[in-house]
Amino acid sequence: MSTLTKILIVLLTISSIFLCGIVVTYVANADNYKKLYEDERQAKQLAVTRRDAADKQLEQSKKQYEQQEDKLNKQITALKADVTTLGGQLASVKRENAELLQRVTDMASVVESASQTAKQQTQLFKDAQEQLKQLEARQTRQGKELDETVAELIAKTAIIETLESDKKRLEEEKYALQSELDKFLRQRGKEVSFVPTVTPEVAPAPPPIPSVPREIGLKAVITAVDLKHAIAEISIGAAHGVKEGMKFFVTRGSQFVCEIVIFSVDAETSVGDLKRMDQLQPKVGDNVSTNL
Amino acid sequence: MSPEPRSRGGNMAAPSNLYTVILALALAAVAAVAIFVAYKCYVQYDTIFGGV
Repeated sequence: MSTLTKILIVLLTISSIFLCGIVVTYVANADNYKKLYEDERQAKQLAVTRRDAADKQLEQSKKQYEQQEDKLNKQITALKADVTTLGGQLASVKRENAELLQRVTDMASVVESASQTAKQQTQLFKDAQEQLKQLEARQTRQGKELDETVAELIAKTAIIETLESDKKRLEEEKYALQSELDKFLRQRGKEVSFVPTVTPEVAPAPPPIPSVPREIGLKAVITAVDLKHAIAEISIGAAHGVKEGMKFFVTRGSQFVCEIVIFSVDAETSVGDLKRMDQLQPKVGDNVSTNL
Repeated sequence: MSPEPRSRGGNMAAPSNLYTVILALALAAVAAVAIFVAYKCYVQYDTIFGGV
């Protein structure tokens, strides 16, 4: 065996061992592509399955979305109709609110006028009470005066009776003297002369002069007016001399308003019909008087 | 390396077995690698030479 052959054998052996080591190392460290492939294929199948499921779910979601959209569209339509209806109701409620506010304002003014009228009535009541007290005091004073007058009248009546009896006695004495004088004159042959009485005959009392109704100047104000029934109430009554049928003239400043013909009289107030109500209408506070 | 016996006078000298052992060792290594590679191919791909 030649030396070259030997060298070749040795080189062949060394290279074979070296290559074998490289191959073993490579094969031992090589990736398992089949396993990787299987894994990838399973992953792909799983992804495809998930995609199909996702597609189905997407379709179901689309159907649900469409159904939900239809339902919501119907609800939107219904709600729009409700909104329209509620808008109408809101407008009507606003109108009612405005009307109620107007009524509240009117009622407030009415209440204010009523309270003012109540204050006036209270003041009138106080005035009437004051006048009543004055009248009671005057009545008491007049009662005393009446008692004194009655006592004086009784005394004077007694005096008159005494004078009457004296007068009768004097007349009897006068007749007696007259008869004695007649007898004496007849005895003397003289005529009987008529002796006039000393006291002249009292002429009959003239008939009482009819009392002419004096022109009374009653003045008052209107305390209440009812234009519907054309009646009004004034602040004076029987205590002031008002009687049924009296006519009052209603004036406001220098303007003539109407006439009031009294048909009901109380102690402190009177009520009458409104007459000749042409241009102006009477109201509370207008002046009332019997004379223009 | 021992000197190789030469044939003298037409007599055949016994060849040295050292290089034969080296060759056998190299062959065994190659065979072992081939077996290992075949085993790995079979285990990983269920076949030795590939194909569908």
